[in-house]
Amino acid sequence: MTLTAAAPPKAPRTTKPGRRRSIWSYWRFYLALSPFYLIFLVFGLYPVASTILLAFQKWDGLGPRTMVGFQNFGFLIEDSTFWLALWNTIVLFFMSTVPTLAIAMALAVMLHSAVRLKGVYRIAYFIPNITSLVAAAIFFAAVFSTNFGLINAGLRGLGLPTEDWLGEPWGIKIAISTMIVWQWTGYNTIIYLAGLQAIPTEQYEAAKMDGAGPFRTFFSITLPQLRPVVLFTVIMSTIGGLQTFTEPQVMVGNNGGTGQSGMTVVMYFYNQAFFNNDYGYAGAIALSIFVLVLLFTAINWKLLGGRGRS
Amino acid sequence: MELSRRTLLAGGFAAMLGGTVIGCSSSMDTGTTKKNATGNIALWCWPGGLGKSVLDDTIAHFPDQHIKYSEIGGDFKQKLLTTFNGGTSIPDITGVKGEDIASLLPQATNRFVDLKSIGADSILGDYLEWKVKQATTLDGKVIGIPIDIGPTALFYREDIFTAGGLPGDPAKVAEQLKTWDDFLAAGLELRKANPKAPIVADAVDLYGTIVNQGTSRYIDKDNKFIGDQDHIRKAWDIAVKAITTKVDGKTLGGSPDWNAGLDQGTVPTVTGAAWVALDIKAACKTSVGKWRVAPTPSGPANFGGSFLTITKNAADPAAALEVIKYMLSADNQAKAFADAQIFPSAPAAYDKPQLKAPDAFFGGQVPIEVFGPAAKAIPIAYEAPLDGAVAVPFSDGLKLVQAGKKTSDAAWAEAVSKAKQIGKRQGVQ
Repeated sequence: MTLTAAAPPKAPRTTKPGRRRSIWSYWRFYLALSPFYLIFLVFGLYPVASTILLAFQKWDGLGPRTMVGFQNFGFLIEDSTFWLALWNTIVLFFMSTVPTLAIAMALAVMLHSAVRLKGVYRIAYFIPNITSLVAAAIFFAAVFSTNFGLINAGLRGLGLPTEDWLGEPWGIKIAISTMIVWQWTGYNTIIYLAGLQAIPTEQYEAAKMDGAGPFRTFFSITLPQLRPVVLFTVIMSTIGGLQTFTEPQVMVGNNGGTGQSGMTVVMYFYNQAFFNNDYGYAGAIALSIFVLVLLFTAINWKLLGGRGRS
Repeated sequence: MELSRRTLLAGGFAAMLGGTVIGCSSSMDTGTTKKNATGNIALWCWPGGLGKSVLDDTIAHFPDQHIKYSEIGGDFKQKLLTTFNGGTSIPDITGVKGEDIASLLPQATNRFVDLKSIGADSILGDYLEWKVKQATTLDGKVIGIPIDIGPTALFYREDIFTAGGLPGDPAKVAEQLKTWDDFLAAGLELRKANPKAPIVADAVDLYGTIVNQGTSRYIDKDNKFIGDQDHIRKAWDIAVKAITTKVDGKTLGGSPDWNAGLDQGTVPTVTGAAWVALDIKAACKTSVGKWRVAPTPSGPANFGGSFLTITKNAADPAAALEVIKYMLSADNQAKAFADAQIFPSAPAAYDKPQLKAPDAFFGGQVPIEVFGPAAKAIPIAYEAPLDGAVAVPFSDGLKLVQAGKKTSDAAWAEAVSKAKQIGKRQGVQ
C-alpha cells in the first residue's frame, strides 16, 4: 500500500457525471478557510452566545449562575441611568459623526484637486487615527481643562468668558465629540479620496462642457458616484460611534462626569460588569447595544439605498 | 477503506477538532476545586503592590517553597476572576485590592481559605482591627491579611495658609481646624485674602471623605438601604455648604487642573490618604518644602489598602500562611514603606526608623506623627458588597449641585431614588 495519491484523476469524474459532488469533496477548501472560522467561533461566536445567555441570568462573576428570565430587561426598562446613557450615546453619535463625515468629504475633495504634497497631507490627516486613544484622551482633557487648558487660554486671550468644559453637561459632550472628530476625520478622508479617484474624469469633463460650476459638479456627480463609499463610512461610523467608551472614560471618569453627561451605553455596561459585578445585567445592556447598532445600520442602509439600486 | 493521504489528513483534522471541543468542555467544569501541585507557591500581585526588596528577601527566605511571583498588570480583579472561572493556574496566594474585598466576601467559602481555620488567630492582633474587619465575613471568617492601609490627613500649603491669615504650623492648624465647620470657616477667611485659593479642592471628594469617616455607610448588615439617613445627609450638607459658600474649587483630584493647581497654589489643600503624598510630590516643583500635614478635620478616614489571601487551590495553605506572616511582619512592612511608600497595616511598624524619618518635602515634618495616630483611630464601618455601586448616584448628584444644575434637595431626592433602584436590582431592601 502506498500513501501517495496515485489514482488516475479522470476516472471517477467521467464515470458518474450526473451525481452531485458531495460536500466532503471540497474539504481542502474548507480546511483552508477554517482558521478564520475557528478563531471566530472561539473568540466571536462563543462570547456572543454566552453574553445572550448571560442576559437572562444573575451572576456575580464567581458564584453560581441562576436563570432569572426577563428580570434583567425589566430592570433595564425602569433604569433611568440606562435611558440617559442611551440618549447620550445617540447625541454623541450625531455630534461626532455628522461633522466628521462633512469635514472628511470637504478635505477629500480639496486633497483630490491639490497637486503638490498629497502624500504628506494624507499621512498628516491619518496620524490621529493611529494615535493611542488613551494618550489622545488625556491630551484632550488637558486642552479642555478649566484653569490651565488651551481652549480657555484662547478664550481669555480674545477677551471672551471661559467655560468649565469638563464640568458642564454640554461641555463634556462637546469635548468628547471634538476628540472623536479629530480622530476619525482623517480615516474617512482617505476612504473618500480613494472613492473620488475611482470616478471617471470624463464625467467631470462633460459637466464642465455643460457649464456646471464646482458646487453643481459636487452635488450632481461626485456625491451620487460616491454613494456606496458614503454608505460604507456611515455604517462604519455608526458601529464605532454607538460604542464610544475610551474617550469619555479617560476624559471624565467612570461615571461620566457632571450629570453623567459623558456616560455612554458601553461605559454603563462596563461599569455594571466590572465595577458592580452584575454580569447578567451587563449582558442585557450589551444585548441592547447590539440591537441599537443593528437598528441604526438598517436605517442608514434604507436611507442611502445600499443595494446598489442606481 | 483505502488509506490515502486525504483520509488520513481529514481524520486527523476531525480528531483535532473533537479534542478541542472536549478540552473546552472539561475546563468549563468548576464544580470541584483542583489543588495546585505541591512543592511550590504561586504568588500574584499587581505592580508596586509589594515592596521589591521584601519580595526578594521572602523568596530567598523560603527556598523549599519555590515561591513563584507573578506581577499582574492591568485590571487585576478581572484577571483573577477569569482565572478562577478558568479553573487552572490559580495562584496559591493572591493580592486583593481594598476596593474589591467587599465584593469578594460572598465568595469567601468557595474560593478562599478561612485563615482562622489554619491558625492565623495568633497574628491577626498584630494588624489594625478595622482593617482586618474589612476582610472578615459576617459569620466571622477572615480571608485576608492586610498589606497596607490608606489613612487620611489634611495636606496643606503652609505659605498660602500664613499669607491668608491662617496658622501655618501643623499643631496650630490641627487645633484650629478640628471639624469640617472650622475648615469651611477657615476657607471663608482664606477666600477674603486670596480668592484664587479655594480651601476645598473638590466638594464631591470632600463628601466621599466624610462618608469614609463614619461608622455606617449606605447598606447595613441586614442588607437594608440606609443611604437616605442622617449620617449620609450630614456629609452631603457639608459638601453643599462648601459649594454655596464658594470655598469649593471644583477641581477633580488627578485632573490636569488639579496637578497644575497643587504647584501654583490654586489647590492649597488636599484631604487624602497617605499615598496621595506621592501624587502631590510628583506634581510639585516650585512648592517643595511648602507643604505640611495635619490631622483630617473631624477625624481620620481610610482610602484603599490591600490584602493577601490564600485560595482554596493552594496545595499547602499552612505553608502559604507562613510566607504571608513573614512578608507582612512589622519589620518587613517598615522596609516596604522605605522601598515604595506602602503604608504599614501593622501598627508596630510605626515605631521603626524607616517611618520616623523627617520629610523635606513637608518642610522637615515627620509625617508618621500625623498618620500613625490617624491609622489607629479609623472607625470600623460595615461595607456591603454593593456599597460602591450605591454610592455613585450621590456623588453624581453633588456634581449637579456643584455645576449649578440642580438644587441640593432635588439632587438629593433623585440620588436616593436612584441608589434604591440600584440596590433593588441586587436584592437590597
